[in-house]
Amino acid sequence: MDSDSGRDLISDLPQSIIESILIKVPLLDAVRTSILSRKWRYKWATITQLVFNDTCLTPCHDKSSISCNLVNFITRCLFLHDGPIHKFELNTSYSPTSPDLDQWLLFLSRKDIKELIIDIGEDDWFRAPSCVFFCPKLTHLVLVRCELNPPPNFKGFLCLKHLSLQQVIIPPHDIEVLISSCPLLESLTLSYFDSLELTIRAPNLKYLNLEGEFKDIRLENTPHLVGISVAMYMTDDIAEHFEQSSGCNFDKFLGGVPCLERLIGHIYFTKYLSIGNEQGSFPVMYQNLKFIELYQVSFEDMKELLVVLRLIVSSPNLEELQISSSSITTTTDIYDLDFWERDWPADCTFSKLKIVHMTDFSGLPHEIAFIKFLLGHSPVLEQMIVAPTIYVMDKVVKMLIDLLTFRRASPLATVKFVQEPL
Amino acid sequence: MAVVKPEMKSYIWLQTADGSIQQVEEEVAMFCPMICREVLQTGMGSSKNYAISLPQRVNPAILGLILDYCRFHQVPGRSNKERKTFDEKFIRLDTKKLCELTSAADSLQLRPLVDLTSRALARMIEGKTPEEIRETFHLPDDLTEEEKLEPLRNMTDDPRIRLLNRLYARKRKELKEREKLKNVEVEEEQHVDERSVDDLLSFINGADEGKLETYLTSYIYCAELLYFLHEPDCPTSSCLNGDTGNVPSPSKPSELQDSAYVKFSPKLDFDDGDIDDELDPAMKEEIDREVEDFARRLNSVWPERMQEILSLGQERRPVSLSVNGNGSLKRYTGLDGR
Repeated sequence: MDSDSGRDLISDLPQSIIESILIKVPLLDAVRTSILSRKWRYKWATITQLVFNDTCLTPCHDKSSISCNLVNFITRCLFLHDGPIHKFELNTSYSPTSPDLDQWLLFLSRKDIKELIIDIGEDDWFRAPSCVFFCPKLTHLVLVRCELNPPPNFKGFLCLKHLSLQQVIIPPHDIEVLISSCPLLESLTLSYFDSLELTIRAPNLKYLNLEGEFKDIRLENTPHLVGISVAMYMTDDIAEHFEQSSGCNFDKFLGGVPCLERLIGHIYFTKYLSIGNEQGSFPVMYQNLKFIELYQVSFEDMKELLVVLRLIVSSPNLEELQISSSSITTTTDIYDLDFWERDWPADCTFSKLKIVHMTDFSGLPHEIAFIKFLLGHSPVLEQMIVAPTIYVMDKVVKMLIDLLTFRRASPLATVKFVQEPL
Repeated sequence: MAVVKPEMKSYIWLQTADGSIQQVEEEVAMFCPMICREVLQTGMGSSKNYAISLPQRVNPAILGLILDYCRFHQVPGRSNKERKTFDEKFIRLDTKKLCELTSAADSLQLRPLVDLTSRALARMIEGKTPEEIRETFHLPDDLTEEEKLEPLRNMTDDPRIRLLNRLYARKRKELKEREKLKNVEVEEEQHVDERSVDDLLSFINGADEGKLETYLTSYIYCAELLYFLHEPDCPTSSCLNGDTGNVPSPSKPSELQDSAYVKFSPKLDFDDGDIDDELDPAMKEEIDREVEDFARRLNSVWPERMQEILSLGQERRPVSLSVNGNGSLKRYTGLDGR
């Protein structure tokens, strides 16, 4: 390498490096490099990742012009592009019209597209054209606010590893078929689905993320699941369904996931699991389950409490537990506090449990009993952090006194009472 | 593989393209996938005679940098924060070294370092004007004016660009015709136009066909204007709805360049059919040369010229134009929003 300071420093680097640089600048800047010099004229045109977002917009006064400009920019970009396109991302609050979007998707389906992310404005939900279903190399599909209707001859995405559908309208049966026809699927995210009864068959699935109104979720063939996060919302319809359903939800949902490492449940998840759950032996042990986070657990409902206990007792390697209490205190029933001594074996220990984090703590009898139980059965516990809900601030001192008197199995255990909101 | 005794470290021998050989601690060198593979597959590198030949893009100075990087990152216990801090300090290099480092890391397949240096180089491109980027990387400014416009022509649906293309196409057509009629050589007169930009545009459709240089001048004005328009820090605006232009303050040339531009009405019906005329390549070259020539000359007198032109055309009303199918320019008084 000569030390001539006037010599071009960058144009002769291999295209893979140029691409590596150009995909790290906004697309508009990448396209602008075409006027730098003769060699740079078409360097941008072979990059394999195209990300269109609001940085591609030129400032303008009226909305329809901006939308028009964006559509033109995308069309011209695609037209000038040369070679395969592996990633196409469109992320904008403006809504391109359907004919444009259809044409782009058709074009992309012919360009070996691997990652497709479409998240456009709230005005209209676009209807995904059938060419989307015939992108054979697709590995990564993210669709927001669209209508999906898989055609009858759709055989599945044979390379798809990551699927995320948010606010997508799709016939219920079709979504199950879609999932099960993607044999390599590793990560599935479904958000804001309405009243869905879902059976998931995905032999390679590792990460599952569900959020919405689900009537029923069954994991039928998911032996490799490692992470689950579920947020279940409630409607009257679903509440009714809960009352009428038979069978044990816990088994249906968590019966076939022996490799589970992380479980997160929000809102009505524990309630859902409690239906049909019988107190008894626990057939499945979760040897790898290390982190459990459960939110909005009702400590007044014995069934939900049983679910929590079943989970932690079935996870001998549990390290971290986070529970937030549902702060609705409705009943003034007599609590069956003998349950703790009567029904739970005294020799059950949580031999790896290190951190417990209780939030929205209201000082309910079962909450306190639960903490006492954990403190007494966790020989390596390091931290027990309790954060009371703001509604009980006046009783904080009494609660603190109670907590500090409990026997601790672990000499290292510290009990922290956290007063500021978390 | 050498047996590692507690007091003895194991070394790998590396040879750079210039012939010099150095020894490096094994765990540091093995952090590079390419070296790792060489050692495992061919068994090379264990002694001075069997040193691993590194790719040509790795010179001794750059190798030193790469090994510093490897030496830090191969230690497993470091926190993410520590690594990030190291990285940020590490890439504070001059541009030349940064480019060489990227190239060398790529040839050694050290992906994390390629990503790190690419990000640094990307920061030097993002949001900068073409001049700044050319300056940073010593790029030659070797595109003709027309070529500079071409990507823009394709990139936006800007009617101004289309007007320009149309002018250029018509110009070429006329040249072709004239060439056929008489074998006349186009004169390169240094006639710089005195009229305001408004008049220029109406002139284009005017009767005076003989003046190549005037056409080209007006073309150059448009070209330069539009070229400046698409710089990142210009007030680029497809404001097609009747805003009055900024009055440039005659103080600094750069300000003039930035803020002077013509606005058109969006209602332009163009017939794009004749844009791609088939021209004799020699003709095309000639036109290109002339265009370049004018551009160069204009560049040297541009700021003063602009000042004159803009002070000539006192009013700053936007120019609204429309072109019919047959090519005649008409002026609209009102503007219809798109």
